[in-house]
Amino acid sequence: MSGPPPTAIPEMGARFLRGVRVAVDGGLDPLAAVEVASAELPKSLRDSIERMARRLRGDYHEDEWGFDEEFAEAAYPFFEFLYDRWWRVDATGLENVPSHGRAMLVSNHAGALFPFDASMITAAIMKRHPLPRWPRFMVLDWAFDQPFLSSFMRKVGGIAGSPFNATRILQDDGLMMVFPEGVKGTGKPFAERYRLQRFGRGGFVEIALRTGSPIVPIAVVGSEEIYPNIADASLLARAIGAPFVPITPTFPWLGPLGLIPLPSKWRIEFCDPIEVSGLGPEAADDRRIVFELSEQVREVIQGKLYENLVKRGSAFL
Amino acid sequence: MAAAGRRILIAGIGSHWGTELALRLERDPGVERVIGIDTSPPLADLERTEILEADIRSPVMARLVPSTGADTLVHAGILWYPENDKPARALHDINVIGTLQLLAACERSPSIERVVVRGSAAIYGCEPAGPSFFTEEMARSFPLRTRFQRDIGELEGYFENFARRRPELVCCMLRYQPEIGPGLRLPLARYLSLPAVPTQLGFDPRLQLIHADDATGALLTATMKPIRGAVNIAPNGSISLSRVLRTIGRSQIPVPHQLFGPALTRLGSNLGAGPLYGDAIRLLRYGRGVDNARMRDELGFQPRFDATGAVRDFGRTSPGLRLTPLPGLGSILDRLAGIPR
Repeated sequence: MSGPPPTAIPEMGARFLRGVRVAVDGGLDPLAAVEVASAELPKSLRDSIERMARRLRGDYHEDEWGFDEEFAEAAYPFFEFLYDRWWRVDATGLENVPSHGRAMLVSNHAGALFPFDASMITAAIMKRHPLPRWPRFMVLDWAFDQPFLSSFMRKVGGIAGSPFNATRILQDDGLMMVFPEGVKGTGKPFAERYRLQRFGRGGFVEIALRTGSPIVPIAVVGSEEIYPNIADASLLARAIGAPFVPITPTFPWLGPLGLIPLPSKWRIEFCDPIEVSGLGPEAADDRRIVFELSEQVREVIQGKLYENLVKRGSAFL
Repeated sequence: MAAAGRRILIAGIGSHWGTELALRLERDPGVERVIGIDTSPPLADLERTEILEADIRSPVMARLVPSTGADTLVHAGILWYPENDKPARALHDINVIGTLQLLAACERSPSIERVVVRGSAAIYGCEPAGPSFFTEEMARSFPLRTRFQRDIGELEGYFENFARRRPELVCCMLRYQPEIGPGLRLPLARYLSLPAVPTQLGFDPRLQLIHADDATGALLTATMKPIRGAVNIAPNGSISLSRVLRTIGRSQIPVPHQLFGPALTRLGSNLGAGPLYGDAIRLLRYGRGVDNARMRDELGFQPRFDATGAVRDFGRTSPGLRLTPLPGLGSILDRLAGIPR
């Protein structure tokens, strides 16, 4: 351990507070005073004070979608803990995520109470990809009408599920993550785990065709066991306007403790990209091509799900 | 049309935007005449603008507009909020009937070649599930929820009809995001100038506030350059409300969103928003972004301030009240630091 000896700490604190006092008397506002006085403090503390003051002054970057990279980085350690320790995620095939340019990431969707799959796919890219970049993911409309959830989702890269948003992200050469199963995936009963639901009307394929974006199918194994959905409180869901309210072995019986996801073992496989740019944007209007591609992506993910389930073995160990 | 000798008629010369536009047009030697119509006088001294005191809602327009011989009508008289001589209950009449009368008058004015209307991006609404950037063709993709939205929807409907029936006229609808800027005493600016600003707990909307100079600049560009159809007027980028407040040094008081409406309606009368006309509650919950590519590429107007810059400039120049440091801060610090009194 380096740093000042323990007896020096109160002394340093007093010097710091005196510094704040002098600066406030000198006419600075409290924030600026704290910053000036922090010259007395060790570098690590000084840096975090400087960073905090900068944020409180609004002097940080948000992109046009409201994504706040510093905020996402601050939230990242929590997801990293889940990734490394809680779910012990094993991610493969990261070379299939392009380092530059647009790509559409298509994954299965599960995890009744909180679908964590988007965050774990993001963590896999940020941790394991040689040239990591933050993907954007589509969030259920319902979430953007909820306090806290709406602003949190937006700051970490979530966007409302409008096709125009996905198109714009891809036109700007970003990574767009979509879950074509939507609520049908997260709300399905535990008995149907890892059985892919219908892929909507193939809207994601239309967007990929229009923007000439390669489709990277992703199979996520482990997300189904975090909140085993054994029943559906449909009356309650209707009453509070939620898309569904799951009942799991722990929720709502254990109250807030029931929100802790079970520590299943996860595997994430990024599959070979499907190039669609050769078909041209006008193929988006051809229902046959759209359905065929949608079915192809679905089959790839379903196949890889079974493969990874076998590779994983026991769900929790 | 020859560049020289433009005759421009501004409806709503008594509004901030009408006056600002007239000030800039007066400086342009290519503009032969500037004529202003309103019930209230302009907000600044205008040198060569001819003022006609009349109400745009009255049928007199049908005689008045042709008599001016104007080639361009700029309608800058659509109101978001009540003003001195224009109470809240008159807004629907002024906005919808006023626009209708002006359009009817244009039908009888053979000299009119262009019509420019300063409208609002409120027609897109503030939708949690909507696109983050509305483009011009996405109007009415969501239900019109507020009174102001319905008024805008109705007058845009009349305007589109008019443009369709008179294809020889160049008709342009400018859809403005809310404005902000030094000297602008609009309710939103007043709201942001409160010493502590009430916000909706857990919501942090994305906003695009256009700087007042850019708002006038865009109106001037659309007056001088022919462009058809709707054009969004917005800065580049967007900024969240929390960062707006931090940038201008205001603290926020988060209020549960169920209580925000009543609280702001109370506050609204002090802010000059009347019974909170417009879509401010939804705007301050869900925010709204529009795509400004048409403004930049087709209208050819490049805003000087982006979303962050507009707020910075507002913060630099608006005095307003700020919460002073806690009165006891000095003595608390002394005690903590062990300084004897």
